[in-house]
Amino acid sequence: MKKRTTRTARWLLAGALVAVAAGCGSDAKKGASPATDSGAAGAPITLAVNPWTGSAVNANVAKVILETKLNTKTTLLDIDENATWPGLDKGSIDAVLEVWPSGHAADVTTYIDQKKSVVKIGLLGPDAKIGWYVPTALLKDHPTLATWEGFKDPATAKLFATAESGDKGQFLMGDPSYVSYDEQIIKNLNLPLKFVVAGSEAALITAIQKATTDGTPLLMQFWQPHWLQSKVKLTQIKLPDVTDACLASAAAKDGKFACDYPVDHLFKAASAKLEAKNAKAFALLSKIQLTTDQQNEIASMVDGDKMTPEAAATKWIAANPAIVAAWLK
Amino acid sequence: MVIAAPITGIAETATSPITDKRWHRLVVPGVVIIAIIAVGYAIGHEVPTWLDAHVKAKVDQAYQWTVLHGDTNWLFTDVFDPIGHAISWSTDHLLSLLRTLRWPGVLVLTALIGYRTGGQRAALTGVIVLSGCGLLGFWDHTMITLSLMLVSVVIALAVGIPLGIWAGLSDRAEKVMRGILDTAQVMPLYVYILPLVVVFGIGAPAAVIATIIYAVPPAVRITSLGIRGVAGTSTEVGSSFGCTGPQLLLKIRLPLARRAVLLGVNQVIMMAFGIVVYASLIGAAGLGNDVLTGLQKVDVGRAFAPGLAIVFAAIAIDRITTGQRPQRIVSDTVASRPGALLGRRFMMPLLAVGSLIAVAVVAKLLKADHFPSSLTVDVSKPVNDAADWVGRHFRKGVPIVGGTESFSDFVVINFLTPARDLLQHAAWYIIVAAVAAIGWASGGWRLGLVCGASFVGIGALRVWDLAMDTLSQVLVAVVISLLVAIPLGIWAARSITVERILRPLLDVAQVMPAFVYLVPVIFLFNVGRVPGVVASVIYAIPPGIRLTTLGLRQVPEAPREAAISFGATPRQELLKVQLPLATRAMMLAVNQTIIMCLSIVVVAALIGAGGLGLETVYGLTKKQIGQGTAGGLAIVLLAIVLDRITQAWGSRSNRRAGAQTWAQRRFSRGPGLTL
Repeated sequence: MKKRTTRTARWLLAGALVAVAAGCGSDAKKGASPATDSGAAGAPITLAVNPWTGSAVNANVAKVILETKLNTKTTLLDIDENATWPGLDKGSIDAVLEVWPSGHAADVTTYIDQKKSVVKIGLLGPDAKIGWYVPTALLKDHPTLATWEGFKDPATAKLFATAESGDKGQFLMGDPSYVSYDEQIIKNLNLPLKFVVAGSEAALITAIQKATTDGTPLLMQFWQPHWLQSKVKLTQIKLPDVTDACLASAAAKDGKFACDYPVDHLFKAASAKLEAKNAKAFALLSKIQLTTDQQNEIASMVDGDKMTPEAAATKWIAANPAIVAAWLK
Repeated sequence: MVIAAPITGIAETATSPITDKRWHRLVVPGVVIIAIIAVGYAIGHEVPTWLDAHVKAKVDQAYQWTVLHGDTNWLFTDVFDPIGHAISWSTDHLLSLLRTLRWPGVLVLTALIGYRTGGQRAALTGVIVLSGCGLLGFWDHTMITLSLMLVSVVIALAVGIPLGIWAGLSDRAEKVMRGILDTAQVMPLYVYILPLVVVFGIGAPAAVIATIIYAVPPAVRITSLGIRGVAGTSTEVGSSFGCTGPQLLLKIRLPLARRAVLLGVNQVIMMAFGIVVYASLIGAAGLGNDVLTGLQKVDVGRAFAPGLAIVFAAIAIDRITTGQRPQRIVSDTVASRPGALLGRRFMMPLLAVGSLIAVAVVAKLLKADHFPSSLTVDVSKPVNDAADWVGRHFRKGVPIVGGTESFSDFVVINFLTPARDLLQHAAWYIIVAAVAAIGWASGGWRLGLVCGASFVGIGALRVWDLAMDTLSQVLVAVVISLLVAIPLGIWAARSITVERILRPLLDVAQVMPAFVYLVPVIFLFNVGRVPGVVASVIYAIPPGIRLTTLGLRQVPEAPREAAISFGATPRQELLKVQLPLATRAMMLAVNQTIIMCLSIVVVAALIGAGGLGLETVYGLTKKQIGQGTAGGLAIVLLAIVLDRITQAWGSRSNRRAGAQTWAQRRFSRGPGLTL
């Protein structure tokens, strides 16, 4: 037993030696910060990147400006959008630049209204719109499907039938966490459709790609802006107009929703601690705004030209000094 | 078809030659089951509304309280926050250590560990496979993932081994822990990941804690098993020489259980790798993130490459920790070696460390900071091409069988929907009674009670219909898995070539994150329950194949030779000698297949399976922690019922074989590559 103990001790000692050696050999980068335009370095910032291109674009634009103009070291953190909020709450994430309000009503109530640990810092700019979509090619043979009334006919709806939906037409939804009034719309408008959850955005996109490649009918919930919109042709179906009564029933959750989805105004949110921690960064992040076109322009450099989001952001910033200067005022 | 197996189980018991005594034993359970049905009939066809554990509301309340008041409560400021900080500190420093060693140093370290545990072969395999991560272009991200994994593994072992020792020494502790371990292992991560983020913070802390929860069970189980496996004579000798309790443990039990403990270490590591992708959902960087990025772009190749890197890292670590080299027994010649060798024994570690430091220093001088990019291979394009080709040619238009899409519809219409309708439309008390009856027939009244109570519990969680939906899918997936796995397992047992070809494929199927093949699976099969079933089958067949092969290989030579000498054809020899003698292993294969299918229910939900899996997904994605918890608990209850029943089948056939099912079972559990 004693022998074993000493053997373990020897290896522990050896391990310690490695650690010490590693410590000595560790690259002493401290102090060698990159040269930048302006004065003192601000406290480092962490921005959340949620898993879609738009989010990566905004965060990278902010990162490049923070690092080159405000001398603020910026870390981007890839994270699920729902896990972002506890991060903002604790201050381990400083800001997120693209929040889709429809999916985060509960977070807004909990963290912004009740706990006040997260603050809204203005709108991002682009508006988003969820809706019902079909592949555009389908409308050639079935022009009535451009509006919801076209789905009232069971024979037409049956075009969309699958093994899962049986006799009714299938209505496909992607990620179950996204806001969905589809079941209510189907029920309240008396449509012969069955609501089926694909389970994830990836599953929905695959189904769309299949349908557009094969030319098969598919009815689904989808939205703008989305990178897929530039790759395949989809048409939004006209649902009954948004009315105050309809919005009221959405708010009351009374199950009587029967109109189109309202427009989502994307907004930015920051940790309540950010302003005290780095006021300049807070001011910049509050001011950053992109139009839908600008966001698409950068996103297409990423998705189309296969640039890294950071390279795309750098390129766009270099090409648009006036816009950036206005944010820094 | 689907529930035929359990039913024949009952029929067998009922019709086999019945002695008087046997007949008497049928009376009580029969009366109980009739009573259940009668009571159920009185209550009604649906699960009654008063049967409600209020899990959802209670959990939601607790979560909301935590979110709002966590910052100021002492438990958070004085306990959880420091834990979180300590974890971040450890992972950061481990990562900087790995980065300081640089890639040549890490490879040398791999070789040294491999050499020490498994000799030259392990060292070489470890180095080659780990280099694969670099060749794929993911060296840096692999190091991030490794630093998270290693911290998790160390903590999991520090928690798991003492608990395992306790469970090994005390029956009561073992019983209490068993339920908790089952829950920890089967409860889907989606349920508790968001609460962990709220409590410990995003990134490393929550990811490490989640990994520990998932990886501790095998450590406890295998350690306990090792302690229990120590022969009674050894401890008796110790006692008779007057050893105290601690002495018995430290000097006899633990040293003799060393192999089992090492196996536990290996299994913990393998389990930890199963969580890499989930960890990235909550802000832990590394390979998981790359998989998610590929998935988000619906780019198969881009998800596959980092997935393969995860597989390589897992296999490398598996090979250098399995310890194939014959272990030295504690009391071997070390003690009696002449002093002259003492110097050499001191030299070895010094030499090892010296070479490690030397390599690291040289690497630093040569500025070998990153794995040479000239060596990296881009596999995503060929993978995408292959996936496209398969998608184009197998979806439809295959002669005779049609194609994957028509197969998909066939399975939905002929199996999934009828099975679901059967389970959902039957009165709930009939199902409870049936499950209790199957439990009783399989393993006696205790098991019957556990099974019946578990299903009542599912009712009380208010997720009855969803549970029946999931159960129907799991049963179909299990049947398909076994139809694939058993023939392949038999083939592999009879042909070494087949086994050699299958082995790496099974390793990949077991460790490759399911997120990687979700997209191709949906592309081939129509969105709905079939992709979920297919994903379950991919995940569940490796243990099925391995256990079948193992079982057949373990059939002793004597009866086989006897059969051959009596002129049995190879076919007769297989069907009449080998398979009957391997029943135990086959039952184990059934058991493991079921557990695997249940443990992937959540992933299946991401591609349209619905059911309980979708409920637990809401835990993260809609912050419906209560709903998620109810779904997760129901999955745990289903797992316990199916596990205990099939285990009982195994131990029944086991009594004849006289071996230890439980041991086999635990040793083969999880994405371990140990078989």
